[in-house]
Amino acid sequence: MTPTLPSGDQASDQDNWDNGRLAHKRQLLTEIILRNRLTALVVDGDTTCRVLEQLLFHSYGVQTQGVDNGRDAIALIASGVKFNLIIIDMILSVLNGLEATRQIRDMGVHCKMLGVTACSGESERQAFLAAGVDVFIEKPLDPEHLVPILRELDGQ
Amino acid sequence: MERNPMRRQLASMRKSLFDQGYLDEQFMELEQLLDDANPNFVEEVVTLYYRDSARLILNLDRALERRPLDFSKLDGLMHQFKGSSSSIGAKKVKAESTLFREYCKSGNAEGCMRTFQQLKKEYATLRKKLETYFQLARQIGPMESANRPK
Repeated sequence: MTPTLPSGDQASDQDNWDNGRLAHKRQLLTEIILRNRLTALVVDGDTTCRVLEQLLFHSYGVQTQGVDNGRDAIALIASGVKFNLIIIDMILSVLNGLEATRQIRDMGVHCKMLGVTACSGESERQAFLAAGVDVFIEKPLDPEHLVPILRELDGQ
Repeated sequence: MERNPMRRQLASMRKSLFDQGYLDEQFMELEQLLDDANPNFVEEVVTLYYRDSARLILNLDRALERRPLDFSKLDGLMHQFKGSSSSIGAKKVKAESTLFREYCKSGNAEGCMRTFQQLKKEYATLRKKLETYFQLARQIGPMESANRPK
């Protein structure tokens, strides 16, 4: 597929001035091949974030569902749908991320949960971990955080 | 023959967006992530961001008119806006969002209002710059196809 930017001179200008970090990140986007069919639930009230997070998962072959509030996340899980991974934001409408996380854990769900949020303070981090997420990640969710987790879930 | 000057102009425009701090690495990651999708997808994602965040800006404006200020509500709105802005690599906008949230936490009303005005300026400036950038990219796109050797 043709990228947004033209190739050739354009690409070399781009690579020259990002000092190889882009090449490293590009490698992270393509180097993982999952052996198993993994599923993820994305709980994020912001459409742009939710779309991009789901797209990131799709790029690795992870099937995803997305909801925009805590109550719908609880309802989906209560209906019996299983996920290998749940991504959840801290501040959500209807039922906030902290409470939703507690309820998900109280339901006996033991899958990996990532708190992915725009909050960056230590108190927020501790609160989210105490609620039951396994990992706290400041937005945006990126391959450097996600790839090791997907590998672990895939048993690599 | 017209391709090269336009491509150089696009490259220069892109570089300055990063050099001047309007965009950060996350924008590059978007471009890589969406490389396999349709070539205008980055523009579509940015359009989605501006469409959705307009509602947040409006709600923040309204919340800042109330007295006394509800800092918890303001912080919640800005939390979402910050997350959205960081997801497309809007560096300056994200920085102002962070500052705003710090003022919310310290209950500094004047700081919140001043920072929000600056944030709206950065938000509008980035929008204009990206619109110009994508417009040029779209012009170059079809020209590339037309001039590609058969």
